[in-house]
Amino acid sequence: MADAGKGHACGVRRRGRDDEIKLVGFLCNWCSYAGADMAGTSRLAQPAALRIVRVPCSGRVDPLLVMKAFQEGADGVLVSGCHPGDCHYNEGNYYARRRLELLKRMLPYYGVEPERFHYTWVSASEGGRWAEVVAEFTAAVEPLGKLHYAGGAPAAAAGEEDGDG
Amino acid sequence: MDELVKAITAALEDCELVLGWARDPATGAGRPERFTSAGQAQEAIFDATCVHNLAVHLPRLKQRRVGIVVKGCDARSVVELVVEREVERERVQVIGVGCDGVLDLKRIWRRHGYGVAIEDDGETLLVDGSEVERQPLLQHKCRHCLDADPSIYDVVVGGRTAEGPEPRGERQELAERFREMTPSQRRDFWRRQFARCIRCYACREACPMCFCRDVCIMQTQVPHWAGGEVNPKEAEMIQLIRVGHLAGRCTGCGECERACPVEIPLMLLMEEQNRALEEMLDYRAGTDIEARPPLLTFDPDRDLWGDE
Repeated sequence: MADAGKGHACGVRRRGRDDEIKLVGFLCNWCSYAGADMAGTSRLAQPAALRIVRVPCSGRVDPLLVMKAFQEGADGVLVSGCHPGDCHYNEGNYYARRRLELLKRMLPYYGVEPERFHYTWVSASEGGRWAEVVAEFTAAVEPLGKLHYAGGAPAAAAGEEDGDG
Repeated sequence: MDELVKAITAALEDCELVLGWARDPATGAGRPERFTSAGQAQEAIFDATCVHNLAVHLPRLKQRRVGIVVKGCDARSVVELVVEREVERERVQVIGVGCDGVLDLKRIWRRHGYGVAIEDDGETLLVDGSEVERQPLLQHKCRHCLDADPSIYDVVVGGRTAEGPEPRGERQELAERFREMTPSQRRDFWRRQFARCIRCYACREACPMCFCRDVCIMQTQVPHWAGGEVNPKEAEMIQLIRVGHLAGRCTGCGECERACPVEIPLMLLMEEQNRALEEMLDYRAGTDIEARPPLLTFDPDRDLWGDE
C-alpha cells in the first residue's frame, strides 16, 4: 500500500502487517466494553485483529464513523451496544438500531461487502459471548481480505464507460 | 397559462412573493422567478421545461408568507420540509400544477443545440420543429413517476394530459447496471465517478432538504469529516455525508443529480436508500405531513432487525 506509512490520527493504518486484516469495534461503555473486558479478565482466547474504540453509547455511533473507518483502512467494522431494552440511556440503542440497519443495507451500494459490517448486542456479563462475536466476525471478514476502500487505482477489469448522459 | 397567472395574482394578495417559473429569454425554457406584483405575474408559465424544484428556496424564506408553484414531486419536498419543521404550512400558499413529466434539457441541448425551440403539449414533443420521442427525453425521475399529482395544495391549476400516476416507462439503464454490480465493482464504479467531482457543492445547494446551510459538516474543520482536497476519497465522503443525512428526508426529486456539472449519478445511492427505508419502515419521505422523521424515532416492537 503506497501510503501505508502516512498514517492517520486513528492509527488504523500504521499498526500491524500490511496483509493482516484490521477490524475496528465501536463498543458502548456500559455493556459491550465491560463484556469485552470480562472476556479479557476471564482469559478467553479471541482473534487479535479487532481494535476497540470505546463510545458512550451505541447511539453515539454515527454511520459516518463506520464509513470513515473503512476509508482510513479498516477491513471490517463491528458495533456493539447494550441489548435492546437494557440501554444505559434507556433508548440510545433503539435509535442506533434503525441507523445501523439502514447502513448495513446501504453498504453494498457504497461498495463494501455486507459481511464487513456487523452490529450486535453484548451485555457486561456476556464475556463468553463477546469472545464468540469477535471470533465469528473475524472469520467472516478474513476470506474477503483487505478492503482498500479509499485510494488505489480502480481495477482495470471494470474499465467500461459509466457516463450516462 | 391564464389560470396559473390568475392563481399567482390571487396568492399575491396574501403573500409577499410567489415562487414560480418565467420564460428565460436566452433559451426559451422555464427559469425560476420570484413574482412580487400582479403585473410581473403575467410572465408566469408552466410547461415541460420547468424542471426546477422551487421548494429549495422555502427554508431560506422563513418567517415570510410565500406562495409556491409546485409539481407533484415538488409538493413532496414541501411536505417533507413541513415534517422537518423547516416550513410552516400556514405560511405557504401552495399552487399545484398538473405535470406530464419535465424534460432533460441538458440532453436535448446537447443533441439539438443550446436553446433549441421546444414545443410540448404533454404528449407530443417538438424539438426544432420536428417531432421526437418524448419518453427518453424526460428527466429520469419522470420515467417512473408516482407523484404526478401534487399531494398538498391550496389551488390546483391545469390537469395532466397523459393518463394516470402509474409508473410510465422502464428504469434507466444505468440504474439496472448498478444494481447488478458486485460490491467491489461498485467500489471501482464510485471511485471513477467521484474522480470527476470538482467540489462545487451544487448537489447540496440544489437540494431542498439540505437546509443546514452554513453549518454543513461537509465544510467544517471541527469535526473534520471531509478534507478540502479535490480527490475521489473526499468526494466520496461528502456524498456519504449527503446520503446519510438525507436518510428519511430525500423525496427523490433528483435535483442533486441534475445540478451536478460533471454528471455524477448521485441518485443511484438516494434511490437505493429510499428503497431500503421503504422496506424497513414502510416510509416514503414527503407523503405524510403528520409523519415523524423515521430516524428521529423508534418502535421497540417493530424494529426487530439484527440478532435478538
